Amino acid sequence: MTKPATDLISAPVWDAFVRCFHWSLVTFFAISVISGKVGGEWIVWHMRSGYVILALVTFRLMWGFVGGEYARFTSFLTGPIRSLKFAKDLLGKEHEAVIGHNPVGGWMVVALLVLLATQAVLGLFSNDEIATTGPLARYVSDETSITLMSRHRNIGDLLLILVGVHIAAVLFHVFVKKEGIVRAMFNGRKDLPPTLATEAHAARKASYPLGFIVLSIAIAAVVIAVNWPALLKS
Amino acid sequence: MKNLTKIAIATAAIAVATTSFAQPKPEAYVKHRKAALTLMGWYFGSMGPVAKGEKPFNKDELTNTTALVATLAKLPFDSFVAGTENVGGTEALPTVWSNNAKFKELATKLGVETGKLATVASAGDADGFKKQFGVVGGTCKACHDDFRKK
Repeated sequence: MTKPATDLISAPVWDAFVRCFHWSLVTFFAISVISGKVGGEWIVWHMRSGYVILALVTFRLMWGFVGGEYARFTSFLTGPIRSLKFAKDLLGKEHEAVIGHNPVGGWMVVALLVLLATQAVLGLFSNDEIATTGPLARYVSDETSITLMSRHRNIGDLLLILVGVHIAAVLFHVFVKKEGIVRAMFNGRKDLPPTLATEAHAARKASYPLGFIVLSIAIAAVVIAVNWPALLKS
Repeated sequence: MKNLTKIAIATAAIAVATTSFAQPKPEAYVKHRKAALTLMGWYFGSMGPVAKGEKPFNKDELTNTTALVATLAKLPFDSFVAGTENVGGTEALPTVWSNNAKFKELATKLGVETGKLATVASAGDADGFKKQFGVVGGTCKACHDDFRKK
């Protein structure tokens, strides 16, 4: 991707669901971090924000199997050798041009998704020993709940580090490699070499009805999980 | 048990002979502060559903509970005496003693804020209660963040 910009052709890469997911996640991640650090009155928003993140991530994990071509895990997860080679080339002059997530970034996507899902689920079972317990904390012992709270704190810190690395990597691509990947996450389009642009144009598109169905399933799953104690009672 | 009693009497006798008062053991201080904090958490936590709007605001009940919390908030902090850093399964971090000024400041703040909580509750101010409940919770958290093992 070090060729002059005139050789590049704009092509659609990120489907609308991926983009909406990404920026919603950014928003709610920020809300979660801040409300979690502030605590007190804001803890209510911390919990609500966590439910939204759980739904978002659940959606994205499913979308990784049925979404548009470049949303799918099979399109961007590569073996470690290719990832390592890509990482090495990235620091050099030329690296393999890719359409979607690159062989290193793809693994970051998975790491973030898995950790976010874990973090949100831990929150459901946590007890902060002040006045807040997750909606499912009653299903584990107090001791377990307090331990899970510790893990919730640890993973929170880990997520902050990973998000920092993610942002640093994005800035590297934008400012050092001159790739418009932030813009791409807004309008879905990337400027690609002709062969890749052709490939991207021909690639499997996202199905909107399916997207809304998957999103509904994710939301329903979280609503049921969060309200489980009340559902059992009635 | 008999032996224990003898030891206790002997210890007490020595203590009386050497100092004018028998000092509680370090473990006893830990037990005391943990008990106070546990009770405080019990009563404070019981009002969580009211603060979150899941339970109605009951003035009489909350007047009682907030008064208990305000009283309990005075109890734990004098037991964080020197020499109790690593005994009796304490969850206090060494920072309690190394940054004692801040710890004391937060302890004082808890007293002030729980006092305010009792005031708004007894005044029947439901919105004020919700708001102040958050402030007290934030005070608990500020101290836990810096001074409690996680």
